[in-house]
Amino acid sequence: MKLMHCPLNGWRNVGEFVYGGEVTPTPAHDADPKAWADWVFMEDNTAGVVREWWFHSPSSYWFIAERDNVRDVVLRTYPPEEIFRERVDFSREGARNE
Amino acid sequence: MNERLPTPWGALLDREQPVTFTFEGERVGGYAGDTVSSALLGRGTWLQGRSFKYHRPRGPFTLVGDDANCLVQLPEEPNCPAEHIAAVAGLNVQGQHYSGSLKRDRARFMERFARFFFVGFYYRAFYRPRGIWDYWEKFIRRAAGLGSVNTNTAHCYRDKQYAFCDVAVVGSGAAGLSAALAAADSGADTVLIEREPVLGGGLNYHRFDADGSVGSALRAELVERAERHEHIRVYRDTQCTGRFGDNLLALVHANRLTKLRAGRVVVATGSIGQPAVFRYNDLPGITTGSGVQRLMRLYGVKPGQRAVCVTANGNGYGVALDLADAGIEVAAVVDLRKRPAAEPRADLVRERGIAVHPDSGIVHAVERDQHVAGLRVTRRSQAERDGAPGTDIECDLVTVDVGATPAISLIAHAGGDVSYSNETHGLTVRELPPGMHVAGSVAGPCSLSGARAEGEAAGRAAASGAPAALPVPTERDGPENDPWPIFAHPKGKEFVDFDEDLTIADLRNAVREGFDSIELVKRFSTVGMGPSQGRTAAVNAVRITADQLGESVEGARASTNRPPAIPERFGHLAGRGFDPVRYTPMHQRHVDAGATMMVAGAWMRPAYYGRDGQAAVREEVRAVRENVGMIDVTTLGGLEIRGPDAVEFMNRMYTFAYRKQPVNRSRYLLMTDDTGSIVDDGVAARWADDHFYVTATTGGVDSVYRRMLWWNAQWRLDVDIANVTGAWAGINIAGPNARAVIEKLDSDIDFSAEAFPYIEARSGRLADIPVRVLRVGFVGELGYEVHCPAGCAEALWDRLIEAGREFGIRPFGVEAQRVLRLEKGHIIIGQDTDNLTHPEEAAMGWAVQRKKPFFVGFPALKARESQTLTRRLVGFRLPADTDPLPEECHLVIDGDRITGRVTSISYSPTLDRPIGLAFVDPERTEPGTPFTIKGSGGTLIEAEVCAAPFYDPDNERQNL
Amino acid sequence: MALGLLKQGLRRKYKPQPVLPPRPELKSSYDVVIIGAGGHGLATAYYLAKEHGITDIAVLDKGYLAGGNTARNTAIVRSNYLTPEGVRFYDESMKLWEGLSNEFDFNIQFSHRGHLTLAHADSTLRTMRWRAEVNKHMGVDSELIGPEDIRRLCPQLNLSEEARWPVLGALYHPPGSTARHDAVAWGYAHGAAKRGAEIHQHTEVTGFRTEGDRVTEVETNRGKIRCGRVLQAVAGASSQVGAMAGLRLPIHTVPLQACVSIPMMPFLDPIIVSGTLHTYIWQTGRGELVMGGSSDPVPGYMTRSTLDFKESLMAHVMELFPFLGEVRLNRQWGGMTDMTPDFSPVMGETPLTNYYIDAGWGTWGFKATPVCGYRMAETVAKGTAPDILKPFRYERFDTFDQVGERGAASVGH
Repeated sequence: MKLMHCPLNGWRNVGEFVYGGEVTPTPAHDADPKAWADWVFMEDNTAGVVREWWFHSPSSYWFIAERDNVRDVVLRTYPPEEIFRERVDFSREGARNE
Repeated sequence: MNERLPTPWGALLDREQPVTFTFEGERVGGYAGDTVSSALLGRGTWLQGRSFKYHRPRGPFTLVGDDANCLVQLPEEPNCPAEHIAAVAGLNVQGQHYSGSLKRDRARFMERFARFFFVGFYYRAFYRPRGIWDYWEKFIRRAAGLGSVNTNTAHCYRDKQYAFCDVAVVGSGAAGLSAALAAADSGADTVLIEREPVLGGGLNYHRFDADGSVGSALRAELVERAERHEHIRVYRDTQCTGRFGDNLLALVHANRLTKLRAGRVVVATGSIGQPAVFRYNDLPGITTGSGVQRLMRLYGVKPGQRAVCVTANGNGYGVALDLADAGIEVAAVVDLRKRPAAEPRADLVRERGIAVHPDSGIVHAVERDQHVAGLRVTRRSQAERDGAPGTDIECDLVTVDVGATPAISLIAHAGGDVSYSNETHGLTVRELPPGMHVAGSVAGPCSLSGARAEGEAAGRAAASGAPAALPVPTERDGPENDPWPIFAHPKGKEFVDFDEDLTIADLRNAVREGFDSIELVKRFSTVGMGPSQGRTAAVNAVRITADQLGESVEGARASTNRPPAIPERFGHLAGRGFDPVRYTPMHQRHVDAGATMMVAGAWMRPAYYGRDGQAAVREEVRAVRENVGMIDVTTLGGLEIRGPDAVEFMNRMYTFAYRKQPVNRSRYLLMTDDTGSIVDDGVAARWADDHFYVTATTGGVDSVYRRMLWWNAQWRLDVDIANVTGAWAGINIAGPNARAVIEKLDSDIDFSAEAFPYIEARSGRLADIPVRVLRVGFVGELGYEVHCPAGCAEALWDRLIEAGREFGIRPFGVEAQRVLRLEKGHIIIGQDTDNLTHPEEAAMGWAVQRKKPFFVGFPALKARESQTLTRRLVGFRLPADTDPLPEECHLVIDGDRITGRVTSISYSPTLDRPIGLAFVDPERTEPGTPFTIKGSGGTLIEAEVCAAPFYDPDNERQNL
Repeated sequence: MALGLLKQGLRRKYKPQPVLPPRPELKSSYDVVIIGAGGHGLATAYYLAKEHGITDIAVLDKGYLAGGNTARNTAIVRSNYLTPEGVRFYDESMKLWEGLSNEFDFNIQFSHRGHLTLAHADSTLRTMRWRAEVNKHMGVDSELIGPEDIRRLCPQLNLSEEARWPVLGALYHPPGSTARHDAVAWGYAHGAAKRGAEIHQHTEVTGFRTEGDRVTEVETNRGKIRCGRVLQAVAGASSQVGAMAGLRLPIHTVPLQACVSIPMMPFLDPIIVSGTLHTYIWQTGRGELVMGGSSDPVPGYMTRSTLDFKESLMAHVMELFPFLGEVRLNRQWGGMTDMTPDFSPVMGETPLTNYYIDAGWGTWGFKATPVCGYRMAETVAKGTAPDILKPFRYERFDTFDQVGERGAASVGH
């Protein structure tokens, strides 16, 4: 098995992790259905370095990895706070998250 | 006749311990230390296998199992390489793939029809008239296959171990030993892996110099140091079958698979002797030179009386000298080179009067009694000319040293680039994968001193983490490979691939059939697809294919080298086959009460109590309706949602509304995924403004938990989510006497109807056990779902059983619960819903609060609900005498159209008729509307839509 | 019958009857450019030529002919799907399979094995019954059977109630078959080339030139080609090629591994599949056990082999067949599969008016080779997709309109 570096726990067997999909910004809560359908179903499916959600199962910890999915090499892992810094509000104006 | 050589030949043998086993019914005598193959060879039995297509006689070629000529059958094990079976007393060994006996294989008649079995012949026949292949295939299936599997073989014990090291060295020849010592001397924690029973590799048997002393001296020095070294762990008799991500090595030895994680790997696996291709080159008695040297030095076998040594480098001369030393007559050294280089071994051969034929080619071998009896050689340029004059040399042993191919499997597994080089006339490593070093002949022909130096350098580099260096081919001065040790004969039978019985013409014809690359040639001809995976065929196949295509062979690749490097048993990979099962804390109580347990995801739950399912379920249902029952609901799981944003979080994760849910009250939960499909339901009890306790569906809580964490990693709400499933247990006690039972227990909770109405929740103590109690309505009776810490579960169970004894309390299982909830029309997620069901379809629109700005799945739901509904879940009933009853997933049809299906159905003991839930046409959902179910055998059954709940429609009983 | 063998064998000199055509020069324009010379691409070229008289076709592949998933799959062919639209589609494929060897004049070794999908839990049993009922209703031979019948069909299977996951029943699909996967591609290639289509190996598409909503030129490493119509059929590269055409697809690419044992005398007749145990296994005419499991847990563009794949697979194989411990594994390999959210393909038209797509074949593509070729040829020839393909249209995801197939793909993913 390959090894993966969990930001919380250090190097672990990749079997301890669950892949969680591409990191893509969620549409605004009131965006039109097509935007949501795109977000739910459509993928870049890039060959190369991708940014992904990963979950360390034993410690129930979600984090983000930058991975080269052709060479099967994880370049970097980091906590989600690095990208998701603020509380997401669904105000009437349709607040966005980034 | 005693074929064994005297000591010091036969270093692995313990001649004090003779061993007898049977082969093909005959007694074979050998010694401890022998393999089955060496013991057979020791008494002159070279015929150890039969070829796949033509049933030609075969014997060991590499003598170490790199070829697959000697696959034999053990009572419990097919396809066992005879070279790898230790000879032990009482072993019962049979040959494989013959008709009659191994010695007299009737199926060899196939060889006479070889002309009809040209390459890819099975694509050209057996399909006309249409359908005839079914008939032919039966014969072909029976003719194919090698060993037989014994379907009574027990599931053997094999286990697995994890190991770790800084540097792993694979191979313990001169290069490997040097690498391991250098790494260990640098302080690295080093593992040395060797597939043979002894360390040393070629140092054990190769003749590097004229008098043959260099090898053993070096061996003594290096092996002794390695075995004593405090930083080296030695694995002998261990195959490294693969290298996987981040230098994870699979090591197979005895009954164990060791998964070794190495910081760096040094590959020093050496090379594999290659055949010369000429007519009848596959006969028993034609072997590699190094194989014969190993046979003599390690196993003390006298390989023949009169030998010919075919060579294209200095090694054949070393072999000739060894043979002569052992008392075998060497009729000739046949050198393919036009001008063989001068060197001490060749000089000594001449001095000893052994005939040398330079610039030679081979016309054919001669067969007698299924063994080689002679070789016809000629001038190299004439070898393929029909009728050219030649020399016939009588012999019963032919050794071949025309080249070796690097054993690059592990390098290939790791993604290293390997291709043919015109400099070395063989496959060569072009680029090393990260974290991997090489040393010795695995990087191409090299000298002994070169192997040592490279090993030392590689070991040091691996220990220090320095980059790996690829040796430069031209600087290595090793035994050269012949670029074309291939001699076509007009009558053919020059075998390129022994496993598949493929000849030169077969490969050339494959190209002519339009398969114009090595990959396509491989797939069409099956070259390299047999048990030896091209280890002795790929290089010549690459050469012939390139030649036929008119392309340069420089840079040509053999087809991808994949794990395992050598065949490995299923049992080693499976190990003990651990498959965890999850028990609730009350599991033993169920077992003791005679429950029939059932699989529920990873959990085990009681299906019913007793052996007779039908009777038990009926009685359990009655007990709950008329009296009191209790069921273990631990598997529903538990989550704590706490914090200032708890309500906001609940509102976003679930479809319903939670802001106004009062404290100490429960509320239904429904969860949809991003596509608006229902994925889970449950109940949430609110303990405080900022505290919810959530239960889910059996086996569902872990994925709900994961989803929640994922969403909140993005929303960053001020809420803490904890999965407390393992910490809590739950029992649901239900029935008209439920209150009477629970009130018997000491408690600070007032269970009266006024103080604790339906749908409310309380926490406190019950019989000294801290509890959370929810009044929920799944089975439709007065009931209390009591949650307690897991450690108190058995005590709680016992208290309730005891308190309920005077009422005749009955534990009930999943099957009864299914009927009870069906009588109330409640859905089970995953049974009454599938992975596309949205709330409207399941008549759950009431659980969706559309005024919220967002919940998971809301945008999808809005989109889907704007489309016409195609189905809707309804309750239905059938006449009481319906027999047989339709089953779940029997279809609902309207003429030819499938309009839905039955999702739940059961005979209701309470209502005395069958009831169920089904998806039907959304236009036909009025109670009383008939619809058609297609039951067993296509019988059409008329059902009637019926409002749910079927039982106690006003919910009076659960509100008691 | 074996006449062909006799004729060839009796000749003095072997006379090749070329299966694959020689490599042609790349022209500057074609009526139809098919990207991907795997089973689907070649089948489409074949039916375009045979059924629609369209022969000015170039089939391009960046690698060697059918070297992608066609070379790597485990060759199981069946039609026991869950949805009526799926069953209809795969059943049409089965009908085409039956006559294929004769149509090609080339034996693709289409072998009737019988197919058993085991159920180890109540919920699975229900789903098997659902499939059986839909199959039967659509005229496809499938039935839910119990342990006794399973024992008759496969006496070696472990039916012990003490097993960790006892077998409760199975979906039995007698028409389930296997075929020699490479041979299918060669048969289609031969038939297409015979009728004028050109196959260009080692020709990689590097981009498209579009004018408005049409593709006017296909750019390759060997030159540019003007094109009338274009079809992409490139499992493992669908998103990359699609992106060049401005398409975003509902696909993520996940490795799928498989492995094979050393040949043995025949002992296993039917194809055995277990979703719960993530295992499928069958024995070839050569005697090898071909085995596979669920997709890799992590997406990626890799064909590398892993150790945990075969560890868990062998543990499960031995749960089904405990006596296989001493049998040896000979080779493992991998391919790249394009997985879709609803385990159904993406077929038919795209927003570009002359660009068609055949993608999203995940782990269910090989069995569809004939029907896909047949119906995509119809689509390209007529310019619109026929009704049978409409459930798989590209736009279905815009309206959250998934096909309900999850549960019929053989193993869990």
